Amino acid sequence: MAEDYEPRIVAFLCKWCSSAGSDLAGVSRMEYPPNVVPIQVMCSGSISPLYIFSAFNRGADGVLVSGCHPGDCHYIKGNYYARRRLNLVKKLLEYVGLETQRFQMSWVSAAEGTKYTQIIKDFVKELKPLGPQTKLRRNP
Amino acid sequence: MAKIEDLKDEARKLLREGKVKYIIGYGAGSNGWPAAPLFIKKPEDVDKLVWDPTCVHNLVRFLVDEKRRKARQRQPDKRPVGIMVKGCDSRAVVVLLQEKFIDRNDVYILGVSCEKTGVVDDTKLAKKLPGKKAKKIEVDAQNRFVVTTEEGKTEVAAAEILAERCLECKANFPVIYDLLSGEKTKRSLDEPFGSLQKIESLSAADRWSFWKEQLDRCIRCYACRSACPMCYCDECVVDSINLAVTAETTADEKAQRIRWIQRSAESSENLVYHLVRAIHLAGRCIDCGECERACPLDIPLRFLNKKLEKEAKELFGYEVGFDAALPALVSCFRDEDPQDFIR
Repeated sequence: MAEDYEPRIVAFLCKWCSSAGSDLAGVSRMEYPPNVVPIQVMCSGSISPLYIFSAFNRGADGVLVSGCHPGDCHYIKGNYYARRRLNLVKKLLEYVGLETQRFQMSWVSAAEGTKYTQIIKDFVKELKPLGPQTKLRRNP
Repeated sequence: MAKIEDLKDEARKLLREGKVKYIIGYGAGSNGWPAAPLFIKKPEDVDKLVWDPTCVHNLVRFLVDEKRRKARQRQPDKRPVGIMVKGCDSRAVVVLLQEKFIDRNDVYILGVSCEKTGVVDDTKLAKKLPGKKAKKIEVDAQNRFVVTTEEGKTEVAAAEILAERCLECKANFPVIYDLLSGEKTKRSLDEPFGSLQKIESLSAADRWSFWKEQLDRCIRCYACRSACPMCYCDECVVDSINLAVTAETTADEKAQRIRWIQRSAESSENLVYHLVRAIHLAGRCIDCGECERACPLDIPLRFLNKKLEKEAKELFGYEVGFDAALPALVSCFRDEDPQDFIR
């Protein structure tokens, strides 16, 4: 593996909390690795497991799903559904042998810019030793 | 195995009185053996019904087809359809009722109990009696299988040729029925998910090489999807039919169509297809084993679905197919659901 390998992370951020949190990190000029491709979704509960499999399929090295803290969901209970569903996805990905670190989930509120930068920093640090994700990746 | 004489009488009565449209059951196969699905429209054909350890099929799939057929008819026959179900199949009916895919009045359930045994596994039987062709399988009083071959009878212990899923069956009797043949005896289970241990104990790298080897063989014939009573989506993610290509469809529209998964049988695409299928069946798969039986390449698909069944039980305390009034696994939540994996 080359020294300068930079993992690519696809981050699904909910519009009401995590997106605003990443925005806060941006406007506050906080520094974090540029390895993230953020995708805004309306709610973490709207994320189909297929999005995650598809992101890995198109070459993502890691996938992050981030939503509002439990109880803070704009749609009252979307993140509770996400928590249940994505727990199963995580277990399934582990079961077929994908590294556990590649799929992560977090709660980031609109005020937690620092937490968001920390999560991305940690994520990148964990992904670097793993090298590129080739298991689910479609051959070009 | 339960005796089905009473059930036959009742079935005859139902057909004579016209209370059911037809009855889906098991009959002798074209060779006389093993059993095959049988559709009965006339009361005099009821005698063709059989119930033996070769009734492996899950007939609930035909209820899905029946619903489609009915939707196409202008004046559909509103009478219910009679269906013969084992324990596992009855749980499939419960899931379809739970999802409001079928109505309870649309189906007349003739339950048959496996009574401490179950159905046989073809491959196990072939291994047990190499080179011999079984002609008939019966169950004796001690719940042992008596296999009749051309050279005579052989007694085989049930555990040796029972299908893997039957060994891990939580309730080998129908949980929902209008008429029941046989006793509702629950078998004690030491390890309801014992078959998974072999894979779970492997390291992540070994698990990956196991699944890669298995799923690389997949030819994407979609037999698993066709045999599954739960795979009833009108549009499947692997073949998007929503885009109607007409003379007005622009090249751009065709190009912009979302192709989630490619059709080619490459290992990455196969894996995504089977992962999607496993997730779709989370909390719905009742472990009837039809996908695995239908698979022409003998991919152990059951292990994917069984794993999610196990996780549903351990993480959320959810058991599939026992109560049609409960919400489905992923359409409900609890405040105390585990979230230790979330930062």
